Amino acid sequence: MLILGIDTSCDDTSASVVEDGAKIISNIVSSQDDIHRKYGGVVPELASRRHIELIWPVVHEAMHAAGAKFKDISAIAVTNGPGLIGSLLIGVGFAKAIAYVHKIPLVAVNHLEGHIQAVFLEARPGFPFIALVVSGGHTSIYRVDDIGIYKEIGRTLDDAAGEAYDKVAKLLGFSYPGGPAIDRIAAKGDAEAINFPRAYLKGSHDFSFSGIKTAVLNYVRKNPDNKKEDIAAGFQSAVIEVLVDKVSDTAKKENIGRIVLYGGVSANSALRKLMKKRASDDGIELFLPSTHLCTDNAAMIAAAGFHHYTKGILADYSLNPSAYMPLGSADG
Amino acid sequence: MKLQSSSDQETREIGRRLGKRLNAGDVVCLYGDLGAGKTVMVKGIASSLGIDERDITSASFTIIAEYNAAMPFYHIDLYRVTPAELPELGLQEYLGGRGIAVIEWAERAEGEFPDNSIRVDLRYVEDHTREIEIKGLEI
Repeated sequence: MLILGIDTSCDDTSASVVEDGAKIISNIVSSQDDIHRKYGGVVPELASRRHIELIWPVVHEAMHAAGAKFKDISAIAVTNGPGLIGSLLIGVGFAKAIAYVHKIPLVAVNHLEGHIQAVFLEARPGFPFIALVVSGGHTSIYRVDDIGIYKEIGRTLDDAAGEAYDKVAKLLGFSYPGGPAIDRIAAKGDAEAINFPRAYLKGSHDFSFSGIKTAVLNYVRKNPDNKKEDIAAGFQSAVIEVLVDKVSDTAKKENIGRIVLYGGVSANSALRKLMKKRASDDGIELFLPSTHLCTDNAAMIAAAGFHHYTKGILADYSLNPSAYMPLGSADG
Repeated sequence: MKLQSSSDQETREIGRRLGKRLNAGDVVCLYGDLGAGKTVMVKGIASSLGIDERDITSASFTIIAEYNAAMPFYHIDLYRVTPAELPELGLQEYLGGRGIAVIEWAERAEGEFPDNSIRVDLRYVEDHTREIEIKGLEI
């Protein structure tokens, strides 16, 4: 059974054909970093405009690469939130039009559920497992008891970890995207040279990365002759220590022996290294999906959509996107 | 009026006091550098309107976040927005209607806000101390 997935939640236009929720037949992602590098961040209107230009070519390419025709597609799965509203609108509008014209069932997928589903395109972790989704827009921990059964354990109360990376990178004079630049120069710095505060929020599984951004700013103001490598290294270790400590604490408290890392920040080399060490110390089975499946892509949306479709959870043409769409939280 | 805050908690409390004085249609423009406490202030304002401040996170990523409280609450963050994109952001749809709009990085859209907007400047003094100046409303 083939599902066409479409994701336009942020800066990438992506389309993918996935078989039976697990086998990627095609997965096209139009990386738009070349546009965003010039503007220092995810620029929403530019992103929307690029999505309009790219949505047809990207979907066409995904179908062509899969050797599929619309009559072969069982359902179209589209991200309807959370994300940039102007960007989401393009994907949802396009998916509805295709579904209507070709009389294909339509399925709505929460982008965060898509992230969690990505691991199944490569591996078969047993249930339950702990999922850490960490990117420019999200930093959340979930307990996953089965496909479709998610419980939010914690989330950021202010900035996402990737957002802190981007803002600190800008502060240090690096261009977008900030994460890889910090990761690169941090390797040359001394992580012990500057001790930035770790926000553990005792007794809570939530995160806060706004204070570290302010701490870096204060440090830069007071030390104009600063060494960027040391700042990057100190900042990075403060962020990743909190991420690793919190996710492994959660696994212990929930008595769960499996952790899966997702999102753009999970490509960070220092985070991967520390997480691997911790998992091995704690006897945790760690899953690190490939980078191209950790970052935004439509294969994960198609995979999640497959399960909605087989359970008969369909969307109709009144489907609208929503920027704010928590997954598995008490209020969601 | 000028106030001094020596912590996130105090900034939040000032936000709460400010929020209690707001009415439908009010626009609050926040000015201040990275780390000045703008999002913290928004948390305070939102909580006075009955929104769980845990739900208020940085809006730099989504630009416009909409919450349904007793009246609609719009948390807008223009950090990433360039002047060329402003006209297409649809900002006016959120200003002066049935809801309350609070805008971070308001300087990125100077001239877009109604004359009776409330202006809040958050200025870095040192480490955790900020000077908060509110114009257009007594709290």
